[in-house]
Amino acid sequence: MGRSKEVNLNECKMVVPLNTWVLISNFKLAYNLLRRPDGTFNRHLAEFLDRKVPANANLVDGVFSFDVLIDRGTSLLSRIYRPATAEEPQPNIAELEKPVTAEVVPVIIFFHGGSFAHSSANSAIYDTLCRRLVRLCKAVVVSVNYRRAPENRYPCAYDDGWTALKWVNSRPWLQSQKDSKVHIYLAGDSSGGNIAHHVALRAIESGIDVLGNILLNPMFGGQERTESEKRLDGKYFVTLRDRDWYWRAYLPEGEDRDHPACNPFGPNGRSLEGIKFPKSLVVVAGLDLIQDWQLAYVEGLKKAGQEVKLLYMEQATIGFYLLPSSNHFHTVTDEISKFVSSDSIKTIGERIMQCIGPLLCVDYVCLFKCFLG
Amino acid sequence: MVLYDSATLGGSCSGSSSSSSSSKPPPLQQRQQTQQDIDGLLAGAGYRVRSSELRKVAQRLERLETAMVNSPADLSQLASDTIHYNPSDLASWVDSLLSEFTQPPTCPSEFIMDPETNQTVVSDAWTTAEPHMPQVHQNISYQQQSLNNQLTVDNQLTVVTAMEEDSGIRLVHMLMTCAECVQRGDFSLATSCLEDMQGLLTRVNTVCGIGKVAGHFIDALSRRIFQGIGGGSINGGSAYENEILYHHFYEACPYLKFAHFTANQAILEAFDGHDCVHVVDFNLMHGLQWPALIQALALRPGGPPLLRLTGIGPPSPDGRDSLREIGLRLAELARSVNVRFAFRGVAASRLEDVKPWMLQVNPKESVAVNSIMQLHRLLGSDLNRNSPIETVLSWIRSLNPKIMTVVEQEANHNQPGFLDRFTEALHYYSTMFDSLEACTVQPNKALAEIYIQREIANVVSCEGSARVERHEPLSKWRTRLSGAGFRPLHLGSNAYKQASMLLTLFSAEGYSVEENDGCLTLGWHSRPLIAASAWQAVSDGTADFPA
Repeated sequence: MGRSKEVNLNECKMVVPLNTWVLISNFKLAYNLLRRPDGTFNRHLAEFLDRKVPANANLVDGVFSFDVLIDRGTSLLSRIYRPATAEEPQPNIAELEKPVTAEVVPVIIFFHGGSFAHSSANSAIYDTLCRRLVRLCKAVVVSVNYRRAPENRYPCAYDDGWTALKWVNSRPWLQSQKDSKVHIYLAGDSSGGNIAHHVALRAIESGIDVLGNILLNPMFGGQERTESEKRLDGKYFVTLRDRDWYWRAYLPEGEDRDHPACNPFGPNGRSLEGIKFPKSLVVVAGLDLIQDWQLAYVEGLKKAGQEVKLLYMEQATIGFYLLPSSNHFHTVTDEISKFVSSDSIKTIGERIMQCIGPLLCVDYVCLFKCFLG
Repeated sequence: MVLYDSATLGGSCSGSSSSSSSSKPPPLQQRQQTQQDIDGLLAGAGYRVRSSELRKVAQRLERLETAMVNSPADLSQLASDTIHYNPSDLASWVDSLLSEFTQPPTCPSEFIMDPETNQTVVSDAWTTAEPHMPQVHQNISYQQQSLNNQLTVDNQLTVVTAMEEDSGIRLVHMLMTCAECVQRGDFSLATSCLEDMQGLLTRVNTVCGIGKVAGHFIDALSRRIFQGIGGGSINGGSAYENEILYHHFYEACPYLKFAHFTANQAILEAFDGHDCVHVVDFNLMHGLQWPALIQALALRPGGPPLLRLTGIGPPSPDGRDSLREIGLRLAELARSVNVRFAFRGVAASRLEDVKPWMLQVNPKESVAVNSIMQLHRLLGSDLNRNSPIETVLSWIRSLNPKIMTVVEQEANHNQPGFLDRFTEALHYYSTMFDSLEACTVQPNKALAEIYIQREIANVVSCEGSARVERHEPLSKWRTRLSGAGFRPLHLGSNAYKQASMLLTLFSAEGYSVEENDGCLTLGWHSRPLIAASAWQAVSDGTADFPA
């Protein structure tokens, strides 16, 4: 503890809005209480402290939600979020699973973050985030309440993700009118991003089409200590020590961080060359200490000839997308919206409106020129 | 078919969804934000922090981090032994943790710049040592009750479904249609609906989910249609019958056990240090709640107090004094563990008939009032007199109890519109029936189902004074109790942990305990079904005892 740590605290405060700083610091300190040095986890206290919200079949800001038990055997729940539509401005309680009516409805299977150990589908921060995704992408969002570490190690989270993918793919009411197929995207933040990748992997040989992966600050790692890990350790809410703890809690006992779950393109990984892998949108926060692993992931996809777009947010920290109080947030939501909608038929007008959305004032003439010029 | 009155949601479901609204907090939070200065974005994350206090909370978080880094021993104690309360109130949670450290932490360097306003914050706040204020968790003085409701959304409808086959969905549709006909007064259409449903029922999976409970709702609807709304004869079962059903409900699923041990834990803590204690139980039944408390009091450090128990219950019809019989059994138990014990039974057919003088509360005693699913029965209003709930709450308050434990069904079954009530009940009870599936012991399960079935019948087929199952959600009880001069006593992480652990002992997977603003709820598959809370009378210096 010397001067340098204090300086770092100040730097940290200067790059995030105050309320975001309060939120993430609160998580950081609470989580410090939950991780025990012996590798066990204080689950009771974790659940007590986690702020949860129930589903709400009544519309709130154009979105309603309900929980579905996808698999009785593992008590696997998912929370489904649906938008109100022009044809169905009020959800009918008897028909929560009424067929979607649009030509194309993206269905985003969302895996919440929490480093495999924290949070749930009904955590307030993720309920709020999923509702935003619905409004943003005019999508149905299915948030999976996967089993968590350390009580449930690899591959439980991936198994649950896979169960959810199969479930979503087989719902007739989620099929888009255009082709009677479910238009599936996989998305997740932190550990959820890692899960999205691995579930997409499983989908490859199965014949289930995943249209795209959206990875927000995905959790990857490896045995080696990278430059970003050394440089940013402890500087912006996250330490290497806690990262190591979570991997030890998730990976099978005795495995190291070069296990392919953690390091998919590492020494034990597998090349995706020639494989039909979905296009990916990967968001990396410039102040996230594991960014070198995330960038290596992007490189791994590129080298295998896969379509990937990297969004590198220089001054962003982990969790920046939880509260929409930063510019990073709007840039990212913009990109996500484009990523998901680029598969549907859009008029030029609709594309313009999509861009205009987050802006407060706009020079229409200028925009038109950009599009047509 | 429009089911929901969008006006009740404050106009938030105008049906239009705009992609640009992602940066705005929802209207409900916005209104409250301007009133209360609560940060809307943090509210969306489940935390209640005043915007004006953000900086202070940030500073405290930093101090807490420094303290945690400086004293790892304290940290592990903080992690294992400390009882946490009401995490939504972030400021008080951080303060309570700070007060756990044995020494005030050394302050880190000052918060230099607020990135939002680019203003330099005065650094004095850091260097001035704040007085070390240990907090007595039991009686944390709490911000106004209006803050309690910041994060709860009124008019919430929680639905958990399982994979249903098509006829299950059709059945739900028809139930809703029938209920809507009933609300409109179109009984002939309702009757033909009923017939269709009876037919459909034979083809539906009645093992779990909606199918299981549909039959009971069909019965309740036909009762309402054919016998009229006073026809609550299903409730006219004898007190003895009710007790049997209650006992089996107690055994078959954890709801009542959760109610009892959560209330007992809170009562035990409230009685700490008191030598003369008096528990008033609003519905004694077989006294199932009390052996555990008696034993816990027997074992408490410093020895047990003198315990008086006053049990309220319906009069026995056949000359038996069932209340006294229960009292005798409890007295025997108390004797066997050396707890001085006295029992008194108060027979009353309705709670509102009880007068405080009947309880014979001694001014020197510490009183605990225990109400397990009784208060909602007082919500039927008789326009000619004071509403019973107000009368009862007022005399409870006059007793100045050390604690009042309240457990209620977490449901909105007292809405004025029949269809709304019906819909809510359909989802509530289908979730509850689903949870019962985990119980395999007979006849517990079958009789427990009948117990629940009676509740359903009352909610659906009765009105006026016959309708006693007027369940209201926690948010409404908070407003009501705060308005009646009570303030919440928070149930903490120790009660939470105990509840969680006992659940894993007793029950199947699928049950979940949640903390909700100082209260605990027990639910099935993420839907809270029962809520436990604790209260104390706000002292206004004019506490009076009945003559």
